[in-house]
Order: sequence, then structure tokens, then C-alpha cells
Amino acid sequence: MSQNTTTTRVQPLESVTGVQLAQGIGHRPTKGFWGEAWDHVIRRPGAIFGIVWVSIVAFFAVFAPFMASGFPLIERTLDESGAVTGVTYPLLHQLTATDILLVLGSFAMIPWLLLPFKMGRSDRLIAAIMLSVQSGMAVIAASIVRDVVSGRDVSNRTREWEQAVWFAPTIAAGFAVVAALIVFWVLPFQKILSRIIAATVVAAVTAVLIVATWSEPLGQFDYRQREAGGQIEAARTLVPFSPQEGATDRDLKPPGMSLGDAVGETEAERLAQSDDRFLLGTDSLGQDVLSQMLHACRLSISIGLVSTAISVVIGVTVGALMGYFGGWVDLLLYRVVEIFMAVPVLFLLIVAAAVLPRNTYVMMAIIGCVSWTGSARFVRAEFYKLRNQDFVQSAKAVGLPLHSILFKHMLPNGVTPVLVDASFAIAAAILAEAVLSYLGLGPANQASWGRLLSEATNQVGDFKWWLAIFPGLAIFLTVLSYNLIGEAFRDAIDPKLKKARV
Amino acid sequence: MGTYLLRRLLLMIPTIIGMTLLVFVLIAASPGGVGAALNVSGGGQMESGTSKAQQQAYLEDRYGLDAPIIVQYVRWLGRVSPVKFGERDLIAPTGEVVRSPRQIKAPMAWRRFVDSIPDANAEAYAFDEGASDAEKSRAYRLASQAYTRVRAEYVLSRAGYEQAMGEGLRAVGLRRYANRDGTMKSSTPRSAIDRVADDSEQGPIVQAAFDDAMARYVEAITVRGELQAVFDARPFRPAGVPLIPGMLSVATPDLGMSFARGRPVTTLIGDALPVTLLLNLVAIPIIYFIAVPSGMLAATRRGGLFDVLSGGLYVALWSIPIVWACVLMLGFLANKETGLGWFPVAGLNSVEGREMTWLPSTAPDGTRVHGFVLDTLWHMCLPVAALSYTGFAVLSKQTRAAMLDNFSADYVRTAKAKGVRSRDIVLRHVFRNSLLPIITMFVSIFPAMLGGSVVVERVFSVPGMGNLVIEAIFLRDREVLLANALIIGLVNMFALLLADILYAMADPRVSYD
Repeated sequence: MSQNTTTTRVQPLESVTGVQLAQGIGHRPTKGFWGEAWDHVIRRPGAIFGIVWVSIVAFFAVFAPFMASGFPLIERTLDESGAVTGVTYPLLHQLTATDILLVLGSFAMIPWLLLPFKMGRSDRLIAAIMLSVQSGMAVIAASIVRDVVSGRDVSNRTREWEQAVWFAPTIAAGFAVVAALIVFWVLPFQKILSRIIAATVVAAVTAVLIVATWSEPLGQFDYRQREAGGQIEAARTLVPFSPQEGATDRDLKPPGMSLGDAVGETEAERLAQSDDRFLLGTDSLGQDVLSQMLHACRLSISIGLVSTAISVVIGVTVGALMGYFGGWVDLLLYRVVEIFMAVPVLFLLIVAAAVLPRNTYVMMAIIGCVSWTGSARFVRAEFYKLRNQDFVQSAKAVGLPLHSILFKHMLPNGVTPVLVDASFAIAAAILAEAVLSYLGLGPANQASWGRLLSEATNQVGDFKWWLAIFPGLAIFLTVLSYNLIGEAFRDAIDPKLKKARV
Repeated sequence: MGTYLLRRLLLMIPTIIGMTLLVFVLIAASPGGVGAALNVSGGGQMESGTSKAQQQAYLEDRYGLDAPIIVQYVRWLGRVSPVKFGERDLIAPTGEVVRSPRQIKAPMAWRRFVDSIPDANAEAYAFDEGASDAEKSRAYRLASQAYTRVRAEYVLSRAGYEQAMGEGLRAVGLRRYANRDGTMKSSTPRSAIDRVADDSEQGPIVQAAFDDAMARYVEAITVRGELQAVFDARPFRPAGVPLIPGMLSVATPDLGMSFARGRPVTTLIGDALPVTLLLNLVAIPIIYFIAVPSGMLAATRRGGLFDVLSGGLYVALWSIPIVWACVLMLGFLANKETGLGWFPVAGLNSVEGREMTWLPSTAPDGTRVHGFVLDTLWHMCLPVAALSYTGFAVLSKQTRAAMLDNFSADYVRTAKAKGVRSRDIVLRHVFRNSLLPIITMFVSIFPAMLGGSVVVERVFSVPGMGNLVIEAIFLRDREVLLANALIIGLVNMFALLLADILYAMADPRVSYD
């Protein structure tokens, strides 16, 4: 197998003499460890399939609110003669800070990653991830605060606060600044000034968006009635239903049925209703399955990435301490690892999910906190080997601080197995979410493939095939994709297999 | 080896303690705690007219939930631990463990109202010479029932007093000392209580509530003293085997009573565990019989069509979410209306399965009865299929990798050079040397399958451990959950230990000394 058949960047080898080689003629710059691995990965058809599918899911994760919504894109108010009296954009008013940030971020990401800059591409990727994390932390923290203060059983004083003008901007600015201060230290830019600018811009945009979308607009789905009554004229998105838009008189309709057929009793009623179709049917609450599946892409992508990130951070820290110190630190921490190994992950997950609040972030945290033992053991083994090597000993002798020795010098040499394993961990996290949602322990009020799947069967023994096939297939393809990508990376990095291939 | 084993066994103790503590804290941290679900499930028989706080207090007292979490945990640990300190417990003829009655808390801030609490001086109790077991247990039961009643009355009255106090605190403008449910906080300072008690309006109300609570408290400690006297007379045989009389003894662990079902946890698990083990012990051999040969075949024809196809198929199987597999099987293979209806939808036996003969037979009226064994097997088809398909990928991959490792070893080249038949090389040399990881894989498959059982048993309504766990979670049935965590954890840790021992036995290069 030669390299030049697959990638265009690799130049065909020309015959060069030793002298020319010494002069640097015909020298190909190496791509580095991860670049080589990536070249191996994208030669595997399975991995290509996986990357394509995950990209599709990620695309819907970003754009689902713009593609599947019951709120009209454009709403024209009509007077009695049918003349347009006003134009509003209800869909845009429904967007959350997350929706807008994701769109902005993904549009900014494309030129940032693809255009040739002096800065290395992997550094740019890391910077992009850091800035997304910064923005995400602020948004999540602000939304948790908002949910708490606008909850039902809060005291009157909290309610007064929440309604005060200064409250939302203070919270938004506070969290944005804190997140910026955290990320500022780890941004991979050379110049301090560029770090300050990047962190500040992201913080400012995030804070403005949080404030702008602070009060959650009420979801009123009376556009169809008003449209049927000739009061408005509406232009809708591709999938004309919101995930939460349901009515009991259109529950469990099979795919392809139109809204009019679903709810209309008489011919006149049917005609009055729109002929928007439920392309994949509806669930037991009368909500459109396709719309829910598109909106659930975000949950699927984020739960995989965030919970794996949490588990890797915990696992790497614990594993590094165990492997570096050994002795009683190892003995003690390994008991903690053993605790999590002795109980099946699913058991712990179910117990934790049942007793903690039903919330997406809590679920990510639970999955992350329960499944870190694998990476801890990988890192422990690697650090155990590394800690007696010369570069570590000299780093110690120079008197570098512990975190520098562990994470700056040792970690890059020992993190490979963890990163390869991360792809499988993402797949496992998605499976875990599916199981929890199926058992009714998933996040509340959140479109999820697992929840849809759980409605396919019920206690009475009914079976709705469209609720089994479509969400199940989506989970399966996503898990399969991550597993295929993980396999390809593992094969690319495993030195034993590489040697065997030559 | 001996010291290694001892070390491993001793290290299990902190792991078990940490694990159960984790589950314990998680359940205790749930909103409303364990008592919330008890209220819903009707865990106690309550007279009408009691307030919510009183019900809560009654339940908390009954199940010992009013103590701090760590105290509750140590109590649980003491019951579960096979090594007991202090005087031995007694075992009633019904098999129930009987302990000395628990202490009871005095009303809060009693020092404000009375100077001292009268001592409960119950006279020592002695059974008649030659009293029969039935008489003894009758005497104990009567004393115990009396105490339960008096104690419940006291707890309700105390809750009423605390509520009156809470209302009083609110009325005099000290609402920061009142809990959300309207009772007073245990940290209320003396000055605040003085203000309520000296208040012209609230004072008499609080005083009356306190007097009632105090009177019932005195009654309760008196009856408790009587019960303690009966207990001290040792009406039943003691539990366990004494090591140091009166100090240290060994007894069977007591897993407690299920809050929600009112049955001993041991019985519940005794019913459920065999079902789960049956499913798993049927599934594991199936995994081995399919995955090991196919892994071997894939290794011998490396890069060939079979290798590629089986590899791809197994990754696909491995990626199928177990919930999806279960739902599809249920809908397309078991459901009669939407699918083929070949298999039963739920349960491990037909309704008439209990009356069936053990083996297939012909009934007197000539109809064929397929018998209990076949009926069970028929019901097990889908659950076992759902449990086993994910294991294929892991085991087959492991077998293939282990075989490939050995194929490149020097001894294979030697054998080839000697002219050994390739079949013999594969079966007698490479396979035997690859057995090690295959054997130890069992240990990592087993816990994963115990977890997988949760879903499978839930979907197919199989009354095993998984179903028990899920129901216990929805009811916050703490004792059942803890017992499950304990048993699953122990099984897993012994499986890990077994793997390490097998490793050392199978591979002479591995030694733990």
C-alpha cells in the first residue's frame, strides 16, 4: 500500500542521491504523530463512513432549530381584505443563546481551521476547543442560575432579584469573565495580547447573547389556527413542527400522515388544517418524530463529547497521581478505582440518574464521573513506565512544579492510549444515555433518541414500528461511527499492527 | 500465594465499604430522601388527620432515618457485617433478627420546660422456669407491639410540638429558625425558644404541645424499659457463633427488610438471583462457542474474506444498543400482531407453566404438554440472545489478537520448519497458548452482563436481579439497592481475584510472591 494513491498532499518519491538528501533536496517534512495517524485513518472506508455520519449529526446539532420548528420563519399579519399589515419573525425570537453561539461558532470555525495561517493547525483546533469550552461554561452556568431563580419554590426576595434589571447582565458578565479568566491561562497563542483579545471577544459575545435571550419566550403554537382563520400568512421551515409541539388528538400517527388527516374529523376540518406531513410519524404526545430526532442530535453529540471529556480529565488526573507517586497514594486511589470497577457502570448510572435531578448537564456529569476508571488505568500504566526515565528525572531535579512535570512533560508521552480509547468512550456514553432515557431516567423536556425508542413498546403490548426503527437506527449509526473511528485510530497507532502491515 | 490472597481479601474490605457508602450517600442525597418515596408507596399505616410533617417524622423514626447519614450507614454496616461486636442479637423462630430496642430522642429543648426527665426503672424480667418457646415469643411480641404503639404516638406528638414551635417562631418574627416543612430547626438557640415560650399568644400553645409530647415521652421510655427487660431475659436463641463471649461474635449478615415490599431482602434476592444467573450462565457458553471458533478462523485466514466480514459484523453487533435490540425482538419476533409471534412476550414461564410436568409428556386427554423445562427454554430465547450478542465482538477480537500474537512467535516457525501439520500448529500450539486471555475474558464479560441484565430483564419482564434493582430505584428502596450493590460488588471482586489466580495457575511465568 503506498501513500500517494490516497492523499494529494503527499508528493511522490523521487530518487535522490545521498548528497542531495544531505542538502535537504527531496526532504519531506514529517507530519508528526497525529498527522501520520490521521492519514492511516482516512484510508479506512469504515472510518470515512463514521466521520461522514458524525458530521451529518453535528450539522443537525447546530442547525436543527433553523430546520425543524413550529414557529414560522416569517409571519405576515393580514387584515380582513387580505392585505399585509405587518411582518414578524417568530422563529428568531425563539432562539436560545446556545443556538446562536453554535451557528456563530461553526461559521467562524471553517475559515479558522481551513485557511493557511502561520499557526499550526492542531494549535488552532485546540484554541477553537478552548474558546468553545469558555463560551459553553458561561452559558451553562448562566442557564443553571436562571433555572434555579425562576423555579417554582423560590422565596419572594429571589423572585424580586430575578426580575430586577441588573440581575441578568450581572450574572452573564460574571460568568463570562470567570470563564475567560480560566481559559486565558491555557490558550495556545504565543502572544499575550492575542490571548487577551480572543478571550475577551468570546466573553463579550457570550455575555451579550445570554442577556439578549435571558427571558424564555412562551411557546405558543396557535399559528396554525390563525393561519386557517386567514389572520396570518406564514412561511415555515423544512420540517414544520417543533419537538415540543404536541396535541393528544394526533398521538401515535404513522409516518406520512398529514396534520389534516391526523386531527380532522370531517372533510371541512381536514381541509382547514394544513397538509404538513409527519414524515416519520408522531409519538404518544402527538409530537413530530422527525423534528424530535433532529433536535436530539445536539444531545447526542454533546453528551458524548462532554461526558467523555469529564471522564478523561478525572481519569488522567487520578491515573497520573497513581502512576507517578506509586506507594500508598497508588494503594489508596486504586481502591477508589476498584470501587467503580466492582459495581457495573450501568447500575451506578441508574442509581445516580434516579436520585439526582433530571437534567442534561447532570446526566453528562454522571456519565463522566462513573466511567473514568479506564483512562485512569491506562495513564497509570504509562506513567509507571515513564517516571524513571531521564527526562522526568531531570525535570524533577531542575525543581519544576508537580503540575508541570505531570501534565507538561509526562502527559504528552503517555496520553495516546487514552485519546484512542476516547472514541469508544463516546460511543459508550451515547449507549448509556439511550439506556437511561429508555428506562425513563433521562433528562426531562428534552428530545432524545432513547426517549423516542422507549415509546415503541408499552405495558399493554402495542408496538409502533416507526418509533423503534428510526430512533434506534440513529443511535446505532452514531455508536457504530464512533466505534469505527476508534478502531481505525487504534489500528493506526498500535505499533505492533503497523509493523505487521509492512 | 497465600500472603497475596490474604492481601487481596483484606483490600476488598475498604473497597466494599467505599462502594456501599457511595450508593448510600447517593440515595440519601436524593430529593426528599428515602422517606419521600415511602410516603408515596404508603410505607406505614397512618391514621387520617396527621399532618405531613408528622407522617414524615413517623416514617423517619420507624426506619431510623432521622439520624445523620453517617450514623445510619454505620448502623447498616453493623447489621451487614459478619463480625459483630457486643452482645449477640437474637433470632426469633420466624428467622427474623431481634435487636435490643433503639434509644429514643427526648423532645427538643426540653430543658426550657422541665428540669429533669424521670428515669425509666423497669424491673428485671424473668421467664418462668421451663417456659416454652411459644410463651417466650408471645411475651416478647406483646411487649414489642406495645412499645411500637407508644413510640409511634410519641413521635407524632413530638412532631406536633415541633410544628407548634415552628409556627410560634414564625409568629414572633424568627422565621429563620423554622424549617421549610414548618417545624423548628434543631439548632434553634435558647433565647429564641424563650421568646416563643414567653409570648402571651404562642406560649400557651407551645406549652400544651410540649406537655403532651413530654407525657408521651415518659410513657414511651417506660414501655421501652419493659421491652428491654424482656429482651435481656433472652427469649430467643442468640444469633451466630461467639468468638469472645459478650464482646465479639460471627453471624450471618442481615440485609434488612425491603421498605416498599415489607419482606426480608434476603428472600427477594434469593428469588431473583437464580433467574439472573440462569440467563447469564446460558448466555456465556453461547458467546464462547460462537466467538472463539470464529476468532480462530479469522486469525488463521488473516486479511481474508472471513476475517474482514466477521470483523465488520462484530463491530456492527457491538454497536447495536441493547435497548434497540430488545425492542426490535419484542416487536418483530414476539409480538403477534406486528411481528411473527414466535416467542413469548414476557416472563420466564407461561401462566400454566407451574402446573406443567417437568419434562415433555402427553396429558391424559391426549394433548401434548411441552413441559416446564422446554417452556422455560422457550421463554429464555430472546433474553439470552439479547444478552449474548454484544459479547461476540469482544471475545472474538480478543481470541483473534491472542492467536495472531502467537502466530508470529518463534516456536511456530520452528514447528513449521519441523513439518508439523498446519492444523496441529493452530490447534495444539497456537490455540493452547492463546487460551490465557480467553479464560480471563470471562471475568470482564460477567460484570458487563450483570449490568446488561438490567435492561433485558426490564424489557422482557423477567423477575431477576435487574428488574428488582429498577423497581427498588423507583421506590427508593434503600435496603434492596444496598444489598444489590453489595452482592454484585462482591461477585465482581471475587471474579477479578479468580482471574488473577487463574492467570498465575495457567502461566508459570506469572507469580505473585
